[in-house]
Amino acid sequence: MQQTTQPRPAIQAEKPKPPLPPAGFQEGGIATMDAAALIRILTDAGAREFQKAKACQRIGELGAKEAVPALAALLPHERLSSYARYGLEPIADPSADEALRSGMSRLKGNLLVGVINSIGKRRDAMAGPALARLIYGADPDVARAAAAALGSIGGLSSMKEIQIALSKTGGMTKMAVAGAGLVCAERLLAEGQREQALTLYASLSTAGIPQPARLAAMSGIIREETSIGRPR
Amino acid sequence: MIVRSAVLGQRAGAVAPSDQIVFGGLGIGARGAHDLGKLLDMRQARFVAVCDVRNERREAVKSMVDRKYGNHDCRMYDDQYALLARKDIDAVLIATGDRWHTPLAILAAQHGKDVYCEKPCSMSMEESWALADAFRRYNRIYQAGCQRRNGANFELCKELLKSGALGRLQTLYANVGPSVNWPPVPSRDWLAAEQLPARQILDWDRWLGPAPWRPYHPEYVRGGWRNFYDFHGGGILEWGSHTVDLCQWAAELDDTQPVEYEPVGANTGPYQVLAKYANGVNLVMRDDGWDGSLNTGSCSFRIEGDLGWVETGDNTVIASSPNIKPLLRPTESAGLALVNHIGELLRSIKTRQLPRASAAAAANSHIVCHAAFIAFQRGRKLTWDPAKREFTNDDIANRMRSRALREPWRV
Repeated sequence: MQQTTQPRPAIQAEKPKPPLPPAGFQEGGIATMDAAALIRILTDAGAREFQKAKACQRIGELGAKEAVPALAALLPHERLSSYARYGLEPIADPSADEALRSGMSRLKGNLLVGVINSIGKRRDAMAGPALARLIYGADPDVARAAAAALGSIGGLSSMKEIQIALSKTGGMTKMAVAGAGLVCAERLLAEGQREQALTLYASLSTAGIPQPARLAAMSGIIREETSIGRPR
Repeated sequence: MIVRSAVLGQRAGAVAPSDQIVFGGLGIGARGAHDLGKLLDMRQARFVAVCDVRNERREAVKSMVDRKYGNHDCRMYDDQYALLARKDIDAVLIATGDRWHTPLAILAAQHGKDVYCEKPCSMSMEESWALADAFRRYNRIYQAGCQRRNGANFELCKELLKSGALGRLQTLYANVGPSVNWPPVPSRDWLAAEQLPARQILDWDRWLGPAPWRPYHPEYVRGGWRNFYDFHGGGILEWGSHTVDLCQWAAELDDTQPVEYEPVGANTGPYQVLAKYANGVNLVMRDDGWDGSLNTGSCSFRIEGDLGWVETGDNTVIASSPNIKPLLRPTESAGLALVNHIGELLRSIKTRQLPRASAAAAANSHIVCHAAFIAFQRGRKLTWDPAKREFTNDDIANRMRSRALREPWRV
């Protein structure tokens, strides 16, 4: 039918304007640079922190694999490490995985946690053995991140490491391992490995598993066993 | 032993403490205090703790809660893990800045808590998926702060569509706010560095949280973080989380997203994003109808069918085509939407039935906003596959589906 009314443009109440960014903190032309120009910023010793941060973000959007070495060089930088991962995470090339794995052996503390988080996000199975070792390291934040990454990577190798870690960890790390197990079970289900997923859920349903994860594992079993679409 | 009747829930209207849902709060500012005020009025709920990175906020919330309950019991924390570790807390109210919404909600689910979270609920598509996955995985109740889903005028519009009175659905309109304040694409600039306050006054590192590092400026902390890309999804996400959400709900499209997104107009506005669902229904996100000639108020949305149309907003007035007017009835005041909404949350927590603004529903409506936001940044029409979760015609757009979180945070 014909629409009888359409609203007129609104009268918009304007809020007070925020302070203007100084010239050195304006993205300006960086927004439209090509990969080569952005890499030049990353490798220019005279470029400012702000310029490098923005270049990393734009490189991530371009997905420029030729930028991987320049991004990897920023992983140890306290303020720019997360920007470097912003650039690396979306690059669909194995060199980005290699750069992050290399970072695992070079970094400590929060920067290492960040690299592990990116590895988990990219589901880099080649990092599995190193991640499994980190679960038992001295830094609890690193241990939890490693467990979470293993869960995200999924697969039978991760499942095995998570099951071992369930019996060897405690406190918040065990909570993270159990959470990783839940994610891993979902990955297994998605890949059609139903029996293994149910086995993992069963491991997570036992006494001694932190209650939120234990209840979630039980829910997972019920959900799967009552699913109409499951193989019978 | 003498036990007061109120303790047993025997006084008229009283709820026994054992039947009350115990809440904590994470990052309660102006909007959160509005939510908290309604929650404190509910006898079925009890608020016992607040966590914030800002000392003044912790003190203000404690003062508000203690005044309401007539005691000094509200505990203050500056570490979310300490609050989440409390076994007596059943649920949390999250009203931080947007950057914290998804990571904190997921942390809460992992600690076995139910969640009320303010909108926008996510900073990226990836966060939206992670949010829905986590709450399904942990079987926890999540309610997004999309209270209009429980507003009588919005419900009536949905009912008119469902009843067939509007005919076959043609187009949904979501008003996405005044672009003069929050344009669709926010700034990637930084403000000048200023002297950091002492950590006990403001923990800047924790304030930034998952957002990329930048130097401190008090404007961000005062609420000026909006309109900066690292903290905000621009006008489309800001207001679309209100009104696109309404469109998805009203049209019973909560489980999907449109498959096309075409940006129209300039970043300075007025602008639109023209979207289309796989079933042919149009979704128009526009910033040119806010408080317009129909006087329906802020956060308005419009449903057009082939037999008639309705439009409503926060004024609660429902404008319609003439043939629909006889079907309209008086609605409630706008303020009751939030009361109804929190009432629904408490019922959901008790019954374990999903609320209207569940994690999955919120995730889908936010993904629509993120897709429109990305289309506007790309400046071109994008096509989207909801099942594959990818754009089918733009690799750069696909790389914008997620954002790296600053260490140590993850979703």
